[in-house]
Parts: sequence; structure tokens; C-alpha cells
Amino acid sequence: MTARIAVAWALVGVPLAYGLVETVRKAATLFTG
Amino acid sequence: MVPSFLARERTVAKPGFSRWLIPPAALAVHLCIGQVYATSVYKSALVAHFDSSLTAIGIIFSIAIVMLGLSAAVFGTWVDTHGPRAAMFVAAIFWSVGFVVAALGISTGQLWLVYLGYGGIGGIGLGIGYISPVSTLIKWFPDRPGLATGMAIMGFGGGALIASPLSGRLLALYDPSYDSTDPTSIASGHAVTMLFLTLGIVYFCFMMFGAFTVRVPAADWKPEGFEPSQVAEKSMVTSDSVSARNAIRTPQFWLLWTVLFCNVTAGIGILEQAAPMIQDFFRQGADSSVSAAAAGGFVGLLSIANMSGRFGWSTTSDAIGRKPIYILYLGVGLVLYALLALVGDRSTTLFVLLAAVIISFYGGGFATVPAYLRDLFGTYQVGAIHGRLLTAWAAAGVAGPLIVNKFLDAQGTPGELVASDYRAGLLTMVAVLAVGFLANLLIRPVDSRFHEPREGRAKEEVYA
Repeated sequence: MTARIAVAWALVGVPLAYGLVETVRKAATLFTG
Repeated sequence: MVPSFLARERTVAKPGFSRWLIPPAALAVHLCIGQVYATSVYKSALVAHFDSSLTAIGIIFSIAIVMLGLSAAVFGTWVDTHGPRAAMFVAAIFWSVGFVVAALGISTGQLWLVYLGYGGIGGIGLGIGYISPVSTLIKWFPDRPGLATGMAIMGFGGGALIASPLSGRLLALYDPSYDSTDPTSIASGHAVTMLFLTLGIVYFCFMMFGAFTVRVPAADWKPEGFEPSQVAEKSMVTSDSVSARNAIRTPQFWLLWTVLFCNVTAGIGILEQAAPMIQDFFRQGADSSVSAAAAGGFVGLLSIANMSGRFGWSTTSDAIGRKPIYILYLGVGLVLYALLALVGDRSTTLFVLLAAVIISFYGGGFATVPAYLRDLFGTYQVGAIHGRLLTAWAAAGVAGPLIVNKFLDAQGTPGELVASDYRAGLLTMVAVLAVGFLANLLIRPVDSRFHEPREGRAKEEVYA
């Protein structure tokens, strides 16, 4: 069950982390110009 | 009514099933339907492809949001009756078919097909998908409903964060002349067609993962160490149940409808004009001290604040209570809004900070409302009641931009205005938040005449 939970969270967590990193990168331009 | 493999009875969790599989199942659906907030990526491409206006293309998004509210209201009871797997499955079909029909419309140059596909058919998928995991999450997490619904509804905000950069990259893949980092670059209609087909297929697979992972708890299941009577001891939390039909007859429903409407209207006031607004606030003459790229960064920052607010504030509501957290959203929100209007132009840091907190309250308001409904009306038909409440979102989606645009149109064009031109519109939003604040203060526990008879309800739940 633990492995299944880890896989399920990875499936949603990886795309979410990708989106978050891309957005943080875009938001950084607010402070760097 | 539904094939047996989707039936609620087939989704009852067996002993040993972990409730921590439910949030990723819910997230899988919400991360997909959250794409609706990433339409700006291909908006210019559609304008050029159909040789149309921004308004005509913007209607696609408006139809989708109105259909979200309507379908959530109309199909809420069906979702509660047939369970989350059937609802997620149907939502996946509508959402994906919506993309395919819209792709057909783009490739054949028929805008009405895009309205019908993405707006109409996809919008139904949005509404059913949005409410599909809510009551299930509340039943799996009776001890922390704010945390549970916060996780799922955070996904709706997160969906745009993923879809926006992903769509840019896919458009560049299908149209090598398109540069997603250049705001003046416009992708071809063929690239948008291919993007829609790709998203339709990927989202279908992802939502199927959610549909076949989700389970409902057994009737006698409760989390380890959880004592339902402890929750009922709180004055604003009921252990009784109110049907969706009765809920809309209570003043509590309409007060909460007003609260959600005001909170969303005020949030849209900033989100609608975020990029030109920050440039206008710091404009001296023809130039702004905030560049177009920095304004884009501001929009990104607001997306993060929106998503974090959904999870953070909703989780906090489990500790401090639903009514107090809405006092915070609306009471502190209106003070921050007034500060933004009156002194927001004094420093960029202050402006960004105020806007980010306001938008985190906007997100928090969305994510906390299912738990507030659970507290007032019980878990019996909370999904259906939530669906009906989402009509407030559809109404605010029309009212918010109307209020902002009416004030700004009278002053000039966003992108050429100054801070003082925004003052009247922003102060109107302060008044809107004050109405929501008062509505929240008036919310009391639901009168017992609206409660379901305990014996009858038990029977209905068993045979549903």
C-alpha cells in the first residue's frame, strides 16, 4: 500500500512541481526586471 | 443508470485501504480541469486564426465558466448518488471530448464549434469534475475536511501552473516558428489544433487514473482515534443532515452564496487586470517603472499565492473554524483592498505584498467553502449543495470583470492609466467585501426543521 501511495503522489506531484518551478522562474522576473 | 464498473457499490474501500490515496485521485482530476485558467497562452493564436477579436475568443472561456456553475448545480445530486468514480469518468469524457470538438472547430475554421466544444461540452466536464471528489474527501477526512478539500481545490489552481508552460512548449513543438518566450510570437492554427488533441488525450488518461483510484469509505469506517461526537460539540458544526433540496431553502445557503460571490468578485477585480494594473500603478508619463516582463512575473506570483491560499488557509480553517476564517478573508481582505487603492502606489513591494495576500484569500475562499457547507448541512448531500453554491462563482465571473471594466473604461485604456484611475473600482470592491463580511457574520446553525429524519436518512444512504 505504501508503494501505491508513493506512486500516486508522484504522478500528481511531479507535474505540479514542474508547474511550480516554471511559475517561480517567471515570477522571478518581477524582482530581476 | 451507470455501467456496473462505475457503480458506487464497486468503489467501497476494502479494509486496509489508505485514505491518503484519495487526495492524489482528486488532484488528478483538478489538475486537468484547472487548465481552463491557462487559456491566455493560445488566445492570440486563436484571434489570428479566426481573424476575430479578443472579445469573441474570450467568450470561449466565459461559456466554460458559466457551464461549470450550471452543470455543478444541475448534476450535483447525480454526482452524490452515483459516487465519485462515475462522476470522474463522465467528467473525463466531457472534458476530453470538449477538446476534440474544439480542435475540429479550429482545423475547419468554425468558431461556433470551439464555443460548443471547449465552452459547452468541456464546461460540463469542468462542473462535474470540480465537485466529483468533494463529498468523498469530506467523508474520508471527517477530522480535517479543510485540509482534504484544500488539497483537491489547490489542484484547480495548480492545473493552470502546469498547463501554461506545457502548452507553450507543445505549441513550439507543433509550430517551430513559434517562440513561447516572445510575447509577440503567434502560433499557427494547426499548432493549436494539435495542442488541443494532445491535451484531450493526456487529460483523459490522467483523469482515468483518478477515477479508478478513488474509493468511498465503508459506512462504518472512521479514522483511527476519531470521535465524531467531538466534532459535533463545536457550535457551528452539525451532526445532522440537510438535503440539497432543503438546503437552498435555508438563509444559511444564500448567506454563504453571498459570501462566495463577494469574495470571488473582489478577487477577480485584481486577477482580471493584474498585468496592466501593476504597470499603471507605477507609471510616470508614458513609461512605467515596471516592465512588461516583470508584470508577467507578477501574474505568476499571484498564481502561486492563489494556489498556496487554497491549501494553507483551508487547512488553517480546521484549527480556527470556518466562520472565523471567512471573517479574516473578508474583514482583513477589505482593509488590504482599501490600502491597495489608497497607498498601493507608494512602493512596488507593498503593492505586490497586498495583492498576493488578497489573492491568497480569494483562493482560500474557494477551498474552504465545501468544509463550511459540511459544518452547516452535514455530509449527506454536501456535493450536491456545493454544486448549487458554485452558481455564485459563475455569477461573480460575470459581475467581477463588469464592475472593473466599467470603471476603467470611463478612465481610459488599461496599460495607459495611472494609480488614481483604479481607485473608484477598487473601493467599490471594498464595499463588495463589506457585504460579504456582514453576510458571514449573519450565518448561524441551520434550524432543525430542515434536518433529515435520522432513521430515513440511514436507509437512503444504504440504498443509494
